[in-house]
Amino acid sequence: MKKQTLSLLSAVAVAALLGTGATPAAAERTAKIAGFGAKSGVVRSFGVNTEAVMQAAVEHINSQGGVKLGDGSMAMLEMSFDDDRCNAEEGISVLRKIASSDALVAVGPTCSNVAEPLFGILQRSVDDAGDSGLRIPIFTDTAIKGGLAKISEWAFRNVPNETEMYRTLFLWVKENYPDLQTVYGGVEEDFAHSRFTWYNVMDTRAQEAGFEVVGFSKWLLADTNFTQQVREMKKAKPDFVALSSHPFTLCGILKEMNRQRVRPKLMIGLTSSSSMETLQGCSKAAEGIIIPSSFAPVTDAAKMVAKLADEKGGSADLHSAAAWEIVEVIAQVMESEGVMATEDSVQEDRRKIRDGLAKLETTNGLIGTIMREGDGEATKPYLYVHAQDGEWAVLHDPGAS
Amino acid sequence: MDFIWGLVQILGVHTIIGLSAYVILLTGQVSMAQAGFCAIGAYIAGMLTVLAEWHIIPGMLVGGLAAGALACVVGFPALRVKGLMFTVATLAFGEFVRLFWFNFDYQISRGGFEIGPLGGEGFRQIRFFPENGWSTLEVAIFVWVWVILIMAILWWMDRSRIGAVLRAVGEDELAAQSVGINLTAVKVTAFTIGGFIAGLGGGIYAHYTTHVEHLNFGVLLATFAIAYPILGGLRTVVGTLLAVLFIQGVLVEGLRFLGDLRNILFGAFIVLAMNLRPAGFIDARVTRALGRLFRAERGGA
Repeated sequence: MKKQTLSLLSAVAVAALLGTGATPAAAERTAKIAGFGAKSGVVRSFGVNTEAVMQAAVEHINSQGGVKLGDGSMAMLEMSFDDDRCNAEEGISVLRKIASSDALVAVGPTCSNVAEPLFGILQRSVDDAGDSGLRIPIFTDTAIKGGLAKISEWAFRNVPNETEMYRTLFLWVKENYPDLQTVYGGVEEDFAHSRFTWYNVMDTRAQEAGFEVVGFSKWLLADTNFTQQVREMKKAKPDFVALSSHPFTLCGILKEMNRQRVRPKLMIGLTSSSSMETLQGCSKAAEGIIIPSSFAPVTDAAKMVAKLADEKGGSADLHSAAAWEIVEVIAQVMESEGVMATEDSVQEDRRKIRDGLAKLETTNGLIGTIMREGDGEATKPYLYVHAQDGEWAVLHDPGAS
Repeated sequence: MDFIWGLVQILGVHTIIGLSAYVILLTGQVSMAQAGFCAIGAYIAGMLTVLAEWHIIPGMLVGGLAAGALACVVGFPALRVKGLMFTVATLAFGEFVRLFWFNFDYQISRGGFEIGPLGGEGFRQIRFFPENGWSTLEVAIFVWVWVILIMAILWWMDRSRIGAVLRAVGEDELAAQSVGINLTAVKVTAFTIGGFIAGLGGGIYAHYTTHVEHLNFGVLLATFAIAYPILGGLRTVVGTLLAVLFIQGVLVEGLRFLGDLRNILFGAFIVLAMNLRPAGFIDARVTRALGRLFRAERGGA
């Protein structure tokens, strides 16, 4: 009996201590950001990198005191990150979970085929009371397929404008490699981004720059054999190739080109392939490939982000580095719009953040100023990088010329 | 609550897809074409509500009927083969349908935007529910009305002569044929019903995701479709529902907090479940026990 009484008293004492200990933590205000993306499957590395960079950005802001709320008090940023497996259904489920929580804004997703349905379930126009779509701002770092943000006024993207990037790149190639006349394309046909970029961007921009597109080959994301595609490429005898493909199949096609001794005078790659995965998968075969990228560690801020991402177990590339910029912009908007971050103000705060994001005309990027467009898209500064001795090196800065 | 009702929608749609395979499995055939039928229902229903501005119910019904009609047409040649050959034939058909939509473009211009299916880029803005102000709860109720309706019809069918005929063919084709059952007619009927149900499921799927593309209807969905009734057990339609709750509710959604570990556990749990319940969650022993329980309760009353 005595033993039982002692146990009971101990339990009460522990509970009291825990309760007391919890008080200061409970009093600390937090503003929640929910990240999500693909942390499993073929594109796993994108989600892993985004999470690492987001975490680093949140810690960086918190180390400087957090964000100032509408009532003058300070709040720490708090983030979560969910895996959507690059699957539309799972992405919708994750977003609904985020919308049901007290998160003020969502950052993601990785895949364009997830972004499309996600933006579709958002309310299209903010003042359309008859539209029952979700009302939470989403700020996308990775899903890059053109023109997605216009699906909803709650959707924003901090992804580079590929149309502009490839327009200037092909013109630059024309100017600097005057002997090149013909180009052969390659497209990872079943992935929304790579497909869109070949048909709507690379193909047309190359022709506009005066190149003759002598053909193109198709392959699928899960393909492992590229013999036929490279044979077609070899037969076309192009001066250079433009490959709209993610790192996994890009490496496959480049290795097969090596095997069949197809050596074009120049290779151009897809923005998303200017990442460590390409170098880890096929640095030798990728040597010399030129890719326009909105990130390279060329400024102090960019170098710091690259270092912090590395410490967090990820790597900073054009996609994940965008997550850093997004977190910084969100913190800035939270302060400028007077977000309250209380239990009762969640929906109001979400609207404030959305309106604040919509008002922005420029934001600070890691390698320069980012222009915000009226449709929720961004025009980001970019560089041409090329694979050189197993690293991405800056080849040209079109902004400087 | 929005998240819960969203999850309820997903569970409902997957139950419908599982039930579409259940009917065919009763005749002893393993169909990998359900994802293809689902795609037909999804695209047709989507086109009818977006391009022709129909209400979702007639849109879904037309999508379901188109999928069912195609299942009937394909069923005759496909069902000339049996067992694994049939499975391979239906897998090939499913891939054919997926690739058809992958190459299918039909867009019209409205309000300055191009709308409609666009091949590999998919079919976006199938926004019947939000545009008509349906809340997530209302959509969930709508989905489950269809689930309950389909389950009730299949439950009744299971207990009627039709169910006995389907099971007779599934148990022993030779014996069934020897008592005068037309095997081809029975199998094609089951295949047609399965196609129709999958088409209905696809119609709802397109509208709650608001965007469909060929990748949504690949081998993974086809595998899930047959996994639900097999894992749940073929003794009753309720088994499929239990399996959907287990896979989509517990393994996919419930374990999301585990991150990468979820994918490893996903397969391990399914293998474990199949080992512990080789005849499905609801096998003969469970149905007998439940039967005894109900009889005892009725007797007690």
